[in-house]
Amino acid sequence: MKLKDQFRFILQNMKKNKIRVFMTVLATAMGCAFLIVLASVAFGLHDSILRDTLENRTINEVEVYGGEEGQGITDQDIAKFEELEGVRAVTRQKSVQQEAIYSVDDFQAYAPTVAAHFPSEIASGAELAEGRLPEAADEVVVGHHFIPLLTPTEGNPDELYNEDGLIKEELQFDENVIGQIFTMEIAKTDGDQETTEEFDVKIVGVMKAPGREWEWDQHVYITDDLLDELETFTGTPGAALMDPSTFEDVSAEEVPYDQVTVIASDLESVKNVSEQLEDQNYMSYSIVNEMEQMNTLFTIAKAGLIFIGTIAILIASIGIYNTMTMAVTERAPDIGIMKAIGASPKVIKRIFILESSYIGLIGAAIGIAAAYVISILVNFGLPLILEAAFDEEMPAGLQFSSIPPLLIVIAVVICLLVTILSGLRPAKRATEIDVLKAMRREI
Amino acid sequence: MIDINQLSHHFTLGKKGDQTSLSVLENISFHVRAGEIVTIVGRSGSGKSTLLNLISGFIRPTQGEIIIQNQKVSEFDESEFAEFRLQHMGFIFQNFQLIPSMTAYQNIELPLILKGISEQARKKMTLDMLKKVRLEDFSGHYPSELSGGQQQRVSIARALVLEPPLILADEPTGSLDSETEEDLLRFIQELNKEMGITFLIITHDDEVARIGDRTITLADGKMVESVVFS
Repeated sequence: MKLKDQFRFILQNMKKNKIRVFMTVLATAMGCAFLIVLASVAFGLHDSILRDTLENRTINEVEVYGGEEGQGITDQDIAKFEELEGVRAVTRQKSVQQEAIYSVDDFQAYAPTVAAHFPSEIASGAELAEGRLPEAADEVVVGHHFIPLLTPTEGNPDELYNEDGLIKEELQFDENVIGQIFTMEIAKTDGDQETTEEFDVKIVGVMKAPGREWEWDQHVYITDDLLDELETFTGTPGAALMDPSTFEDVSAEEVPYDQVTVIASDLESVKNVSEQLEDQNYMSYSIVNEMEQMNTLFTIAKAGLIFIGTIAILIASIGIYNTMTMAVTERAPDIGIMKAIGASPKVIKRIFILESSYIGLIGAAIGIAAAYVISILVNFGLPLILEAAFDEEMPAGLQFSSIPPLLIVIAVVICLLVTILSGLRPAKRATEIDVLKAMRREI
Repeated sequence: MIDINQLSHHFTLGKKGDQTSLSVLENISFHVRAGEIVTIVGRSGSGKSTLLNLISGFIRPTQGEIIIQNQKVSEFDESEFAEFRLQHMGFIFQNFQLIPSMTAYQNIELPLILKGISEQARKKMTLDMLKKVRLEDFSGHYPSELSGGQQQRVSIARALVLEPPLILADEPTGSLDSETEEDLLRFIQELNKEMGITFLIITHDDEVARIGDRTITLADGKMVESVVFS
């Protein structure tokens, strides 16, 4: 008997008991929808938290804090990192340990200053919006949001800012900063006495705005040579505003980097790079560590919810079992006739298993459609309800329910398995029907 | 065509622990040649229906062997016998045994579906058979919408549609009036002559028994007579 004919046969049989089949399909659909919606909450929250985590970090970065015994990272370590497999660049920065004051004409700004290794910054993906990289010791590059920091030195300070706390547009520095010579004021302390020194720096480039809207880059990126000059002036490492007598000769000592980031060539290499750093006894942190813990937690939650959802389908399977058992009883004479004219037990069994699977599949299809509708409604309605109930705004982009294709596959497989299992016993009973008794209508 | 050797059968009656054995057939042996019409007659309880059920494979013999078309069918399992029935046997039952939810066309088509024949070939074979039993105008009718004679013709068409070499008939005229009975017997004889189909017919009706080339008489589960008609 061909599969196509078997399908036609079961459709014909199902039509005979439309209401009963409909109710069974409905129960299966409800079970399937329940499973999907329940698990979709775990999938949705996982997605939301994952997205939030990824948005807050550059995913292929591995931050290295130093050796396991607290030793800082120096050029020797950097050289080792650059040799690691899957490393695209190693960015390293030394911060100026005081807030330098930058002045030009009637504007000035307090900006964080870092000595960066420009080739590695560019290799890591940092780009200039305009200008070029420094070529001389007194040349600097500024972050994209350095200009809004520039504040007019004249005028009433109370009238400088708008409602958002930013310099009013008409008062902002509106000249091109490229080529401008700024005065960089650095302080040093000699016992109780504090003196300042001015260094002229020329802005030769402006960095591109960071990829994320909320991230502001107000740094001034100086060269290592300029940092050396500052350190020589202050007599402290990182030009810290501290008593220089407590330090050895800063020019002779190798100062460790404040921030070292290993950039992996792709996301897949992040774990590998982290492991290599760990093997070499460096303390490091990457998004992968966080994601692994989160994934484990959510995988457990998803499995638990799918298990609970499966119970609903199991309850629905009782309906399928009942429907199939009644179908076998009702069709016993027909089964007897079919067996008499040559239908093998295998064919009879297959017809009934197909019928229960068909009920399961239709139920799953309706359940999936219903689950999608419920999911959309939950994502739209639940934040409104929660906001109204708790008078608190929900985080932007929070998704309560998400139905990935994997969940659909899991639900369909569970649905099919359960329905096939519930159809097995009635199908076996059908094959055991005695031809003579069935034809005498004794069953 | 059919060889029955030392065939015996008994039914076990009663509940476990209090069972009795009832012998219904004892040492039956006969041979049916291809193209013959053999009728088996006997009074009620003589064992003729049991004999037919054993040959059909609906029950398994307690003893003896059944050979049909050189195959020892008495040793077949249920699936093998089902396949054998589909390939080599057609059945005509006293109360027609049509599926009530299927039309005349669908009932006749059923063996073809079970055999896995293509839809196009099925259609032609079913329509040809409907024509042969003169029911082409009733193809869409359900059994409940047909007379007894028409239902029996649908049943015959279903038995013949796969052109089996052997047809087993259990009281084929039992539910028919005398005029329809005559029609049916004539039709069986035609089929036997034209197509060379072997018929094994169970009956208690002398009229039916007369169409046979040979009649085997059973009494109390034993074969008492085998008469060959000239």
